[in-house]
Amino acid sequence: PDSPDPNTLAAEKSTAVVDGASLTKRSEEEEAMGEQGELAAEKHVRYIVTAEKKKDSFESLVMEHLRASGAYWGLTTLDLLHKLHAVDAAEVVDWIMSCYHPESGGFGGNVGHDPHVLYTLSAVQVLCLFDRLDVLDADKIADYITGLQNEDGSFSGDIWGEVDTRFSYISICTLSLLHRLHKINVEKAVEYIVSCKNLDGGFGAMPGGESHAGQIFCCVGALAITGSLHHIDRDLLGWWLCERQCRDGGLNGRPEKLADVCYSWWVLSSLIIIDRVHWIDKEKLAKFILNCQDKENGGISDRPDNAVDIYHTYFGVAGLSLMEYPGVKPIDPAYALPLDVVNRIFLTKQQ
Amino acid sequence: PNSQFLFFEFSWYFFELNVHIGGWSTQVLQILFPISSLYNASYFHTRLIVTVIVLCRKMVLSTNFNLSHLKDELRLCALILSYSPKNESTWSHRRWVIKNLAQHLQDMPELIDKESLLVKDMAEKSKMNYRAWRHRCWLIPYMKTKQVLDELNKSKKWAELHVADNCSFHYRRSLLLALLDGAANREDSLICQSEAYLMWKEELRWNETLIRRYQGRESLWNHRRFLSQWWVQHLLSCEETSLSNESLADLFLSQEIHLLSDCLGAPGDEFGETRVQVELAALYILWISEQDAAVKGKVEERLKSVGSLKEVLARACPEKSRLWTHLLHC
Repeated sequence: PDSPDPNTLAAEKSTAVVDGASLTKRSEEEEAMGEQGELAAEKHVRYIVTAEKKKDSFESLVMEHLRASGAYWGLTTLDLLHKLHAVDAAEVVDWIMSCYHPESGGFGGNVGHDPHVLYTLSAVQVLCLFDRLDVLDADKIADYITGLQNEDGSFSGDIWGEVDTRFSYISICTLSLLHRLHKINVEKAVEYIVSCKNLDGGFGAMPGGESHAGQIFCCVGALAITGSLHHIDRDLLGWWLCERQCRDGGLNGRPEKLADVCYSWWVLSSLIIIDRVHWIDKEKLAKFILNCQDKENGGISDRPDNAVDIYHTYFGVAGLSLMEYPGVKPIDPAYALPLDVVNRIFLTKQQ
Repeated sequence: PNSQFLFFEFSWYFFELNVHIGGWSTQVLQILFPISSLYNASYFHTRLIVTVIVLCRKMVLSTNFNLSHLKDELRLCALILSYSPKNESTWSHRRWVIKNLAQHLQDMPELIDKESLLVKDMAEKSKMNYRAWRHRCWLIPYMKTKQVLDELNKSKKWAELHVADNCSFHYRRSLLLALLDGAANREDSLICQSEAYLMWKEELRWNETLIRRYQGRESLWNHRRFLSQWWVQHLLSCEETSLSNESLADLFLSQEIHLLSDCLGAPGDEFGETRVQVELAALYILWISEQDAAVKGKVEERLKSVGSLKEVLARACPEKSRLWTHLLHC
């Protein structure tokens, strides 16, 4: 990275934008963030654990069709807060496997629901957290995903054929975690993703689709995992991404939209992957996320004073993790799993 | 929550019963949707809809192909979308149906017109709806040049009334790109080319009036970034054919800087919109100058009366200093 001009550095000290260069600066940052409004970690843990247990609650009912993803959001948050042991691993693994369809090799969103890549990734990610990939028929899952790649390199979400760059990321991420990325046509997959790049540097859901932070995360993450980041114009994309920061410090997903905590993940992780995170004000963002907490009952909402949910709780904590908030485990920006989990998967010899 | 809980459980039972008896029916949905809307339960809709769509597809694939079946599907989708305008499975199902219809239908232009209108109605109730507008963009490859031009004209008024809706401007950009594409690839390419030039020029003029009227609207400035990008390159390639003292590109850049200085000189307002306008204007000039080295030089030259680009940016958007110091040093 380029060395900053000392004058601008002095001027920016008050906004405390960290470029990650010096360790002393980082710990000052951490202290500052810890003081300004705290992360009510214990409350969030309790919120998640209670939600996991109350399978007949109202929230559970309305999220029924995507419970597998709900499990991933909740459990990853627990792990990031060093509390994964608060749930029964065997119970979770059993439940996840009951969503598996052995004939197809995919996972459904809940028991008895049709398979879809969305829930297949979530299931694999949950099993990664518990280091239980051994229960999987990795080849069968790889076949399911390979079967969903289309001729142009894109991926469908399920047998009904809906195509979206989200599914490209999901397929690539899942296969990479299972050490079976070579089973798809990686070159074609990358080609398709690059064809979704827009003139503003961003990416859409399909070629010509409007740039959207969520889709950008998927494309950037997929390109990172396949070692294809050279296709990205980092300055151009970094520019689009840093313009997502609103006056209140939060990040939005597209021009003119309101800030939403979930973009703390999608925009932030993308910026980190392309090494442009110093272009936003991280301290202001952290403050925004902390303001979205329900400090009484636990949980984080999309913006201050709204109702909380598991989804935003995860993204808020994940965003803070990316900014090295004290007490939160570091998270991998491309795999969206705790760094120690990812290291365990890739640094120890697997079958 | 207790009564809502009971309602959902009962509805689901009722729905599944109906499915087992005689397949889905729109009548069931017409009962369930309005009541669940009273409970503001969009998640319930999603769960319901996903199941309905899967059932529909299985049924349509199992019976003999029938145009009227497919048209029923469109009606069902419209019903679902009126309650759940962001539901991607439904939009996706709609495209699946249209792809099947396209193979057998003569009057595609009429179908496309109706689809476009549907999205416009949805967009009115559900602002910046990514899924709906994506659907509208998906129709563009099915359009002939005339329909592309018609769409540009017809959607203009709506865009004017919703200047903060980035989706509608993205739709216009897609239409303009389709014109350029047509200019390169189609039989009526000469017509496409001259039409593209005229539309672009008009779009720039129209965009400027909106920018001057509505202060600090990011989607308007983003639209201008897109427009200038192609326009400047087009003008530069005309350099040799220009007869006046100043080249067309130079003239255009002078006009853009004139717009910037108007923004810089505007009096402050109580809502802070002028300040946002100044920031967006400065970033816009940075955007143009980053397009290529030749343009950068021309911009710097014309900016002299206002200040250097760096000075302008330091005044206008100090919070973005990390961004522009990096770009200006390259």
